[in-house]
Amino acid sequence: MTVSRRGFMQSASAALVGLSLKSDPPIAGSFVNDSFQLGHQLRDHASFPSPKQILKTPVVIVGGGIAGLSAAWWLQKKGFTDFVLLEMNDQPGGNSRWGENEITAYPWAAHYVPVPGPKAIYVRELFEELAVLRDGQWEDRYLCFAPQERLFLYGRWQEGIEPAIGLSEKDRDQFRRLEERIHQFRATGKFTVPMELGLSDNTGDLDQISFADWLRDQRMDSRILNWYMNYCCRDDYGATTVETSAWAGIQYFASREPEEKGPLTWPEGNGWIVRRLLERVGTFVRTGQMVHRISHTKRGLNVLAGAVGYQAEFVIFAAPTFLAPYLIEGVAPLRDFEYSPWVTANFTLDRLPDSYGGDLTWDNVFMDSPSLGYVDATHQSLRTHVDRTVWTFYWALADGEPSRNRQLLLQRDWSYWKEAILHDLERVHHDIRRCVSRVDVMRMGHAMARPKVGAIFSPERRRLSKPHGRILFANSDLSGFSIFEEAQYRGVKAADSVLRFVGGTHGIA
Amino acid sequence: MGILLFITVLLIAACGLIYELIAGTLASYLLGDSVLQFSTIIGCYLFAMGIGSALSRYIDRGLAYRFVWIELLLGVVGGFSSALLFLAFAYTQGFQLLMYALVIVIGILVGLEIPLLMRIIRGRYDFRDVVAHVLTFDYLGALGASLLFPVLLVPYLGLVRSAMLFGIVNVAVALWGTFLFANQLAKAQALRILCCVVLCGLVIGMAQAKRITTAAEDNIYADDIIFARDTRYQHIVLTRFKDDIRLFLNSHLQFSSRDEYRYHEALIHPGLSAIPAPRRVLVLGGGDGLAVREILKYPQIESITLVDLDPEMTRLFSTHPMLTALNQKSFSASRVHIINADAFPWVDSDTESFDFIVIDFPDPTNYSLGKLYTTTFYKAAARHLSAQGLMVVQSTSPMFARDSYWCIAETIKQAGLQTYPYHVYVPSFGEWGFVIAGHREYEPPTSLPAGLRFVDAKNLPALFQFPPDMAPLPMVPNRLDDQVLVRLYDQDWKDISH
Repeated sequence: MTVSRRGFMQSASAALVGLSLKSDPPIAGSFVNDSFQLGHQLRDHASFPSPKQILKTPVVIVGGGIAGLSAAWWLQKKGFTDFVLLEMNDQPGGNSRWGENEITAYPWAAHYVPVPGPKAIYVRELFEELAVLRDGQWEDRYLCFAPQERLFLYGRWQEGIEPAIGLSEKDRDQFRRLEERIHQFRATGKFTVPMELGLSDNTGDLDQISFADWLRDQRMDSRILNWYMNYCCRDDYGATTVETSAWAGIQYFASREPEEKGPLTWPEGNGWIVRRLLERVGTFVRTGQMVHRISHTKRGLNVLAGAVGYQAEFVIFAAPTFLAPYLIEGVAPLRDFEYSPWVTANFTLDRLPDSYGGDLTWDNVFMDSPSLGYVDATHQSLRTHVDRTVWTFYWALADGEPSRNRQLLLQRDWSYWKEAILHDLERVHHDIRRCVSRVDVMRMGHAMARPKVGAIFSPERRRLSKPHGRILFANSDLSGFSIFEEAQYRGVKAADSVLRFVGGTHGIA
Repeated sequence: MGILLFITVLLIAACGLIYELIAGTLASYLLGDSVLQFSTIIGCYLFAMGIGSALSRYIDRGLAYRFVWIELLLGVVGGFSSALLFLAFAYTQGFQLLMYALVIVIGILVGLEIPLLMRIIRGRYDFRDVVAHVLTFDYLGALGASLLFPVLLVPYLGLVRSAMLFGIVNVAVALWGTFLFANQLAKAQALRILCCVVLCGLVIGMAQAKRITTAAEDNIYADDIIFARDTRYQHIVLTRFKDDIRLFLNSHLQFSSRDEYRYHEALIHPGLSAIPAPRRVLVLGGGDGLAVREILKYPQIESITLVDLDPEMTRLFSTHPMLTALNQKSFSASRVHIINADAFPWVDSDTESFDFIVIDFPDPTNYSLGKLYTTTFYKAAARHLSAQGLMVVQSTSPMFARDSYWCIAETIKQAGLQTYPYHVYVPSFGEWGFVIAGHREYEPPTSLPAGLRFVDAKNLPALFQFPPDMAPLPMVPNRLDDQVLVRLYDQDWKDISH
């Protein structure tokens, strides 16, 4: 008999290949909610068709994020209904947009609101209307459940995000001194939410140096403390402490009570609030309507949005303010508005990965990671058994020039970001690739206003935030930074200004 | 002819290696220290093969006859080796002695095989080819066996049946040898009959393998495991020791059939008997049907709704004869409606009203279970409670987890209910606590259903007295956004075990 050598080699190699095929399951996904193509049409002065239809509408709100929707909410609440809200994207909500799959709803960006303090009266009014606040009590199921947050450091998880393990006496002393300083700032009453209420020229000096410089001046050089401060700035402003105004760095801590409850959160993040607002004002909202020109006429304003033109008396400009020079006739280019680019990703997990011990929390952060960690969308579920979930991964591209990072956002493909994020997650969940079935990535070139040195006390910012003329600016970037309360405050205030003029002539119901 | 001969080499090589692997695996399973077991077994086996090869030179005549006999012997010894070892471990002290003896016997027989076979076929081929082909197929057989063993045999057949399967292969080779070497055999017919008898023995053995392993395992564990299953939600284990059946969920004891009547009578009757004309009852948790058994003692009750997360749990307690004997087929009663759902969302979305609500969840060992012990949960449950109705809550031990117990009581109070804590002694658990709660005041009942073994009206008020070592402690309530209870519970049990 003869053994065919070739046959033997073939079957042997087939067997070996078969044994070596141990691969992770495929991961689906894509970029979602891309909107830069629309924005670039404005930037590049693309030609738009002339309107086929002209509508007379006394008030036009431009932008359907929290500021625009809050303006609409306030107008309607006060009985004024002769307005329209124009949103460029197909889905309203701006930074509070959300998604949903067969497992849960999940946020695309903003995912919580801190329990509002006494000065945030409009937030409190909204939350009373939405039964989030009832008889002075916050609704239990909207307060973030325990365990709330954790930090991965030195190969293990600790409870809470502020580093608490492995601190030297020096670290502790600096954390203590920082706390005292913050307490002093808080006591001045000049750091408030909304920021406009407490803003005082006395604190202007703090806006002239970076938060990193201020920390150095305070002899706070602890690596751990500086990591934590940097994390906080990246989280709220998308910028490092070097790029953040000291005023803004202090505002982050001094504007809120240290022992407050909360935050308030929902599976779809602040998308929950958007949904409730849309239930109220959805009929006024026109999506997929990109405003490309706002010009003054003898009797008011001309607002052009694709095939429709609006003859308006007032415009509430709630879109990001940096768009104004491209849209509004006669607005000079802006110098003091800078924005941070962000990447967020939603992960569909078919099972929960290993975690090196520790219960999964709502907010999960890894020390020394360039990312901000992830938030679990099923955390607010009442279920006791959760075997599939969605995680929202946050990554502010804080290091380096924003314009270069925006280039990076456009150049790299989906699998680049997917891999980058998986690498980051693998540090804390070694088997993450075997658990994930889908990764959708959202890239935002101008995600959040960046409160760089001088931004808070910028004359440009202060000029635009005062009601003046027929165009009222309402975006949260007028506060210097993008948070829910600022957006809502400015939306309501702009609506209030408009109501003072239109209330008499158009008759409030 | 040639290729078939060499396939024979491949098969017998595979058989030899399988027996060795089985011995190594069994020894690792039963004795631990797999490095030591595999090293010594491989060593003994190879050494024994050497002995076999050395002995082969003393065989001069009747080579084919002896080859067939060796295959037969290997089939019997190897085939039954695994079963023998299992039984030896369970019933004797001589497991290791028997194991090495078997390894050596099998090794010697395997060591004899190849030299004999080579000598048998020497005349038919060039010697160079014989050596090359025989050894090639010998090693190929070893490769095949070593791949088959972990991938197919252990997971799908198990050790006992794998050994028997390869015993059958050895005997089949013997049988085939009687035809192949017919011209060299004097008593081929007799050998064939013997082969068939041994084959039958092995086939019967394979069919009965389950019985052998069960018999062995029963003797290995102190209590019989009569049921074990990983469901989507939990690990369910039932054990039996004489007449005592115990249920463990995720390794936590849920009941012992010897004293569960104390627990379940105390859970149900102090509350239910104090409700005038109860009609509708809700049970949350309690997938063992034992609480429902107690509730069925009230003929005036029209409907019992049981909400339990795990369908496998309620199915098990609806069908397993030993368990339905225990819960007296309570799940088959027409008044009982089983809903398999997560309790909190169900309570939150449903709006039915009930006269009696039984809350019998596992202890708050983690934040997920802790949600079921929060003010939010009790408020949601209280919305289902009729004005005259009562709720009873399993509240862990006021003795071993005193802080936790009083935290649960405080949490129920903060949900807006009046609370009446009480405790009983359950031998397999120790002191155990419950809380009765309602929108109204509660008085212990003066009459109870007939036939109870533990709770009686006379002693009932005493259950509501707490001695100093279990007396109330001031506690903050457990809230969804601040689950103090999970931390307290963890601390309480740490204090006990250190």
